[in-house]
Amino acid sequence: MSALHPALRADWLVLRRTGAVASVRMFGAPVLLLACCVALACGDLYKGYGWCLAAAALPALGGSHAIAHRRVLDALERWRFGWCGALPIARGRTAWTLSIVTIVALLVSLMFVSALLLIVSVSAPHRGDLPYALAGIDLALIVGTSVAMVRALRIGARTNHAGGIREPVLALPWLNDTRLPHLPDWQRRAALVRWRRGGSFVMVGIVLGAVPMGAPMVPVAGLVLLVLSWSWLAVAMRASADATTDAVRLLGATPLDFARARRASFRYPVAAALCGLVWMIVGIALLRQGMIAPAWIVLAGIASAWPMLRILRTTRDTESSA
Amino acid sequence: MTVLLRTTTLRVAYGDVRVLDGIDLEIARGEFVALIGPNGAGKTTLLHAIAATAPLCDGHVAIDGHDLAKTPREAKQALGLAIDPPRLPALLTGRECLALFAGARGLPAIPPATLALGETLSLTPMLDRRVASYSLGMRQKLGIMLGLIGEPPLLLLDEPFNGLDPRSALAFKPHLASLVARGDTSVLLATHSLDIAERHASRVVLLMDGRVRRSWDAGELAAMREHPERSLEKAMAEACSA
Repeated sequence: MSALHPALRADWLVLRRTGAVASVRMFGAPVLLLACCVALACGDLYKGYGWCLAAAALPALGGSHAIAHRRVLDALERWRFGWCGALPIARGRTAWTLSIVTIVALLVSLMFVSALLLIVSVSAPHRGDLPYALAGIDLALIVGTSVAMVRALRIGARTNHAGGIREPVLALPWLNDTRLPHLPDWQRRAALVRWRRGGSFVMVGIVLGAVPMGAPMVPVAGLVLLVLSWSWLAVAMRASADATTDAVRLLGATPLDFARARRASFRYPVAAALCGLVWMIVGIALLRQGMIAPAWIVLAGIASAWPMLRILRTTRDTESSA
Repeated sequence: MTVLLRTTTLRVAYGDVRVLDGIDLEIARGEFVALIGPNGAGKTTLLHAIAATAPLCDGHVAIDGHDLAKTPREAKQALGLAIDPPRLPALLTGRECLALFAGARGLPAIPPATLALGETLSLTPMLDRRVASYSLGMRQKLGIMLGLIGEPPLLLLDEPFNGLDPRSALAFKPHLASLVARGDTSVLLATHSLDIAERHASRVVLLMDGRVRRSWDAGELAAMREHPERSLEKAMAEACSA
């Protein structure tokens, strides 16, 4: 333990003390991702098994890369510029600690996937092919996490995480509410920072590399669009909710009209959700698998509803406690 | 003189730790009150309790005759709290922060007086850059401007001179004094800089263990200024050890 970065112990203590909600935030996304992968691998949504495996491996690859990339970058920034930033800790020790933590998380994920596949193997339609599904998902998790780890360590801790974010190509003045100007800018920039921390469009290349040989390009493009639009939706919604919470806290001492603030807070996430939904529909159309549309829409709804509820609760809580 | 701020038996606790234990404080319109005290006395918490950014266990706050619990918007209309530098949004520019606060205050645009203050504090060239690229001093200046936007009658400032370069500090003190001298603005300044408290405040309040231990009125402060052997530093040390 002494060879590891001292901030790791502090992070663990903070996680333990902040209770169940923090744990859900920490472990919720990976658990949900792995459960989705297993469900896709064992489901009967696709006619060919190759597609079934691809559908499971793609989110595993993309999701594991995004989660690992963002969390390693977050830890690097926190440890480099946080309370322990001035401590004489070798750079190698930070990389070693993060590698150990990532490997442990990866091993736990692999065990979790194996256990889930074992449980569902009783009723899965492609029972005989489950070892291949296991190998496919495991391989995707290992590749996604390893690539993320190497890329994040190469990037290292950044001092200015807001750098390089351009203004939107299309100016959308109707997004701005005069009573809370620039909140959509804040939400959009927070979403972009988070999107880039998840690896952004580098994932498209990795995802395409995992598609079975000889697969037709149009449905592949559809699948990529689905995965990307869903990821974007989740990122944009959570970033918007976090930015809103920060904004309401920042403006706590001002005579803010909370009803209007609530409406202003929804403008950007709703616009982002609509954009995501359009790409999702295009993806579904390209995929020509009409039956998966409801499942994707429901998953997208769940991904977007929770942060929207958080925005609602934040503005209400602050109003009532004022 | 009309009372602008009145706190009645204000109590705030963080878990089992009682930080404010029955604070009764009145500030008249046009008064400059300095809040002093050792670390952990509850100065910052008192400012946040008045601004409704810290939860009260008990007690009441009334600003300009409006109860903060019953009519928070009316009470907060009369209140300006300088923002702590670490709380500023890194992803917005200084000008965007000002526009956000102006909007929240119901102002159509950033008031010229706020932009003039930016000029006084030499922050204007930085206003179109993202806060992430600001130094501590620049953030402090922006935090002050956000608190003073719209020139509300009651200003709450928590160590506003921390990180300010001498030139900006020198420019900000007369600005604050001129606002108070106009008679419609009151300042509650939490500080460890006893020289600023002694020189500029019309009343100094010593807070210890969450209670008001002692206060010095304008007459006593004037006497301290006149006699070099007497000082607020000595008076505070005596009051703390009493």
